[in-house]
Amino acid sequence: MRPFHPEFIFTALRQILPYLWVTIATMAGTVFFGSLAGILLARAKIRRGPVLRALSEIYIYVTRCIPSIVMLFIVYYGLPEFMLAFGIDINNFSKAFFVIVTFSILFAANMAEVFRAAYESIDPGQREAALSAGLSEWQAFYRIILPQCIVVALPNFTNALVNLMKEGSLSYTIGMLDVMGKGQLMIGINHGSYSLEVYLALSLIYWAMTLVIEHGFGTLEKHLSKGRKIVAAS
Amino acid sequence: MLEVKDIHKSYSGNEILKGVSLKVEKGDIIVILGPSGSGKTTLLRCLNFLERAEKGSIDFDGIHTEFKSATGHQINEIRKRTGFVFQNYNLFANKTALQNVTEGLIVARKVPKKEAVDRAKQALDKVGLSDRYDYYPSQLSGGQQQRVGIARAIAVNPDVILFDEPTSALDPELVGEVLNVMKSLAEEGATMVVVTHEMGFAQDVASRVVFMDGGTIVEEGTPHEIFSRPRDPRTIQFLRRILREDYEYSI
Ligand SMILES: Nc1ncnc2c1ncn2[C@@H]1O[C@H](COP(=O)(O)OP(=O)(O)OP(=O)(O)O)[C@@H](O)[C@H]1O
Ligand SMILES: [Mg+2]
Repeated sequence: MRPFHPEFIFTALRQILPYLWVTIATMAGTVFFGSLAGILLARAKIRRGPVLRALSEIYIYVTRCIPSIVMLFIVYYGLPEFMLAFGIDINNFSKAFFVIVTFSILFAANMAEVFRAAYESIDPGQREAALSAGLSEWQAFYRIILPQCIVVALPNFTNALVNLMKEGSLSYTIGMLDVMGKGQLMIGINHGSYSLEVYLALSLIYWAMTLVIEHGFGTLEKHLSKGRKIVAAS
Repeated sequence: MLEVKDIHKSYSGNEILKGVSLKVEKGDIIVILGPSGSGKTTLLRCLNFLERAEKGSIDFDGIHTEFKSATGHQINEIRKRTGFVFQNYNLFANKTALQNVTEGLIVARKVPKKEAVDRAKQALDKVGLSDRYDYYPSQLSGGQQQRVGIARAIAVNPDVILFDEPTSALDPELVGEVLNVMKSLAEEGATMVVVTHEMGFAQDVASRVVFMDGGTIVEEGTPHEIFSRPRDPRTIQFLRRILREDYEYSI
């Protein structure tokens, strides 16, 4: 085995960092579509319609039991077959497409729970007071309820985002070239000799990303949480 | 001015309001009394369409409709002309005292911001909160929160203000400040429908007292008629119980 070369960590960083945007872009896509679907699922669960609620609960239950990597392969191999049945060929779609679909499916289930919990934490009396004051249902929601929901949901959302980032590293298994994928490639090219250095470089990148996410959303939460009682840290 | 006839309302087959009719004239202070579960809150909520009554009609200053078939527009119109003061305040937690009051003016009634702020400040001054404009609900005491709730209801110049036990969530020493505000509103000629267990307020301020039990109005009359010469046995029993509690409180 070769000796440890700490300076290679920097070499690795230099080569990996250009792929950071792929990681960030797929995360952003996942967050966008996953949150959107999560909102719809949460809505279905909150509203009284029994059929939609049951469907939403089944979806959440099933997807929560499937490991990301299993879901990734199901989507990667299954979705093209499925679409082919409708005469649509997506075999040549970029890997990022399958990654975003996979993680959106999983993220949506998480978000549904986060949003539902946040919504239910707001006293429905405020909605009624808003309606009484003459606001429409929609105005009551986006002016009164939603801003408070967001504050409540932010810490859990941040957690889910960090988890997404970590699970997202599995995307290399279908050959996606994000930071992890590039790292794996480097290790392969060097026949495994610089593995430790590369993984350390990756750790640094993921660590820095986590730092940015948590700091960013922490600041946002502080900024948005005006009017909320400061509850003593437990 | 406001007249409702024969309101029926059930929850999952359980009839809570069994044909309640009520007439409110301008300047009336109507106090609704009744034991817990008699449907007082439900009645107020039906008036404001927070619950939809299955049967009955409402006549409100030119708007006439069956509860069942009221349109969204009619509901909104009725809400805009009424104020609602809730038992547990229901202030908007993400808004300051001032914004709680301006919200209904600016967003629902399209009052220009500057005018809305002026009117909101006047309303808050009236309830004695001129030094609390920029406080969030979480920074206010219960009594102050409820006074913001009242300011929010009166700032829109409603034709009638509905109060649902406005003091029953308050510590005893804070009840007085809220009742005083309500008294001064009454003196200024506001039209009010008040559900309360404050017998003193009912006796002093009410122009009419309505006693409800089991989803119907059992008896109504002037405070003097109800408190000195109640006729229905249920009223008598209720008053005896409540007034004795009051008495025990005071010793
Ligand atoms: N959303 C609801 N679903 C089912 N039952 C309800 C609902 N709201 C009220 N009820 C029932 O309706 C009855 C009347 O309730 P309401 O709140 O109108 O009574 P109240 O006269 O205001 O009593 P209190 O003095 O305790 O406030 C109660 O038996 C209550 O259990
Ligand atoms: Mg009640």
